[in-house]
Amino acid sequence: MASQRIGELDFSEPYGIHHRINNPSSSLINDQGSGFDFGELEEAIGLQGVKIRNDETKASAFFTGKPAATLEMFPSWPMRFHQSSIGGTNNKSGGESSDSALSSKNENPFEPESPLSKKASSFCSSDQLQHLQLQQDMTNNNDVIKTASSPKSAHEKRKGGGSTSDNKPLDAKTLRRLAQNREAARKSRLRKKAYVQQLESSRLKLTQLEQDLQRARSQGMFMDWSGGVGSNISSGAMFDMEYARWLEEDNRLLTELRNGLEAALSDNEMRVMVEGYLCHYDEVFRVKGVTAKADVFHVINGGWTSQAERCFLWIGGFRPSEIIMMLIQQLEAVAEQQIMGMYGLRHSSQQAEEALSQGLDQLQQSVVDTIAGAPLVDGVQQMVVAVGKLANLEGFLRQADNLRQQTLHQLCRLLTVRQAARSFLVIGEYYARLRALSSLWASRSRDQTIITSDENSCQTTTDMQMLQPSHNHFSSF
Amino acid sequence: MSQEKLMHYQVDPWNCYMMRVRRRRMEEEDEMERVMRIVSESAVVIFSSSSCCMCHAMKSLFCGMGVNTMVHELDQDSKGKQMEKTLMRLLATNSTTLPVVFIGGKLVGSMDTLLAFHVNGSLVQLLKQAGALWL
Repeated sequence: MASQRIGELDFSEPYGIHHRINNPSSSLINDQGSGFDFGELEEAIGLQGVKIRNDETKASAFFTGKPAATLEMFPSWPMRFHQSSIGGTNNKSGGESSDSALSSKNENPFEPESPLSKKASSFCSSDQLQHLQLQQDMTNNNDVIKTASSPKSAHEKRKGGGSTSDNKPLDAKTLRRLAQNREAARKSRLRKKAYVQQLESSRLKLTQLEQDLQRARSQGMFMDWSGGVGSNISSGAMFDMEYARWLEEDNRLLTELRNGLEAALSDNEMRVMVEGYLCHYDEVFRVKGVTAKADVFHVINGGWTSQAERCFLWIGGFRPSEIIMMLIQQLEAVAEQQIMGMYGLRHSSQQAEEALSQGLDQLQQSVVDTIAGAPLVDGVQQMVVAVGKLANLEGFLRQADNLRQQTLHQLCRLLTVRQAARSFLVIGEYYARLRALSSLWASRSRDQTIITSDENSCQTTTDMQMLQPSHNHFSSF
Repeated sequence: MSQEKLMHYQVDPWNCYMMRVRRRRMEEEDEMERVMRIVSESAVVIFSSSSCCMCHAMKSLFCGMGVNTMVHELDQDSKGKQMEKTLMRLLATNSTTLPVVFIGGKLVGSMDTLLAFHVNGSLVQLLKQAGALWL
């Protein structure tokens, strides 16, 4: 009888058709069960039969790479298998190792209390041979894995408390108990490994879920903005996300407008699109207003804009008179009356801009005076006053956005539908180029050699191509 | 006699309450009349506060257009508080409303309404009608 150590395969067995994996412990690590049921396991262990079949299948189960079979605590994977194969693979030691692994579980409920002889090395497929080997193993008392403690007591109880000490002569009961202990220890180790793997996978799932939640939140937010949502995300960051989404929507609408113009859709259809675009702008002004209540500085300073946009910012957005001037130059086929109207609109918005700028200057002066005039020792009172004055900033931002909104609406009233669509396209293009300018500038600072005097050799060719034809168009700025 | 008076007040509290309400309403009407009187005195009347920056912006706007306005600094008026309340009632709002502008004796509103009127061109019309602007 070959000495069979734990962890060694017995390839001399003529009946061993099982596909063994070299290292039993590692093979058993492969389980991916997600269940975790100690109780079931204990029960399964307790119900182990002493029959050779049982032993054989159990033993083979250890090394077949289907550890979940032996561990009842992963019912989600193996259980289904088990139920299906409950009748078919009993006592089958040949062929599929999975079968034997599965059948081992099936056998358990059928056997009454029987000692487990879980010699890891008994790979024999036939019943009798297994039995013989088992006996021999017991008598030989080969290397034993250190037994785990947890299910041992259960087994011992079930065993009806046989021999107590390992030093006694190895009678069947003792040997059986030892074998049970060994198996219990092995099972514990497998359980632990499985649990750890389960934790790891859950952790991964959790991070993925969190990312999904963030994404969904940022998308859902724009439709249903309420100032207090998202406690651990700052309102500034939230606004940035919403603005990014607004930009995507903007691109989509502009593409629609462009296609509509090229396809020469009817005026009514174009009007619907133009009005939809106006609502789109109304939406961003509304969200800016809501954000300003929480974080006015972020909106006014234009933290949500690209660098070039930020440079030319006026009270947290575009200067209406500049936009109108650009449109006057860019639009073609504009009637005389319309041009007069646009000049008048530009004039009005210039006056309004001037008034608001002066109001803002006075606010700044007032705040500066308040802070600068604060006595060194007790400036708290002055600070409180200054904070109160700063609250007016929100009002100015509100009025500036109101001016922009009114200007856009008036523009649509002045122009025909097609001209209005063209205007929106021009404005959209302008801002796209400003953003491209910002990114170009950033890459230029990073690597001076990229942008040479020959502009065509720029690496961001698309941006440059976009900019080149519009060179003269922006000369007025 | 005094006992009767006491009984009268005890027995008829509703009457006392109604009298108080009536008195308050009369005061409000007085206030409203006062406001109306003020706004009819000049073509453009701005109710403002000397420390408010938005009021300064409104004043600058009219100045830039060449319009002569009469400015009422409510924080320097003895009855300023009450007038501000009246204006709030006129505008049907609960928040502080200044500045408020009247053109030709009629209420225009706060800064945002004014800007809306200005952008769509109706402000100039109003001013011309009120005689505050000649072109």
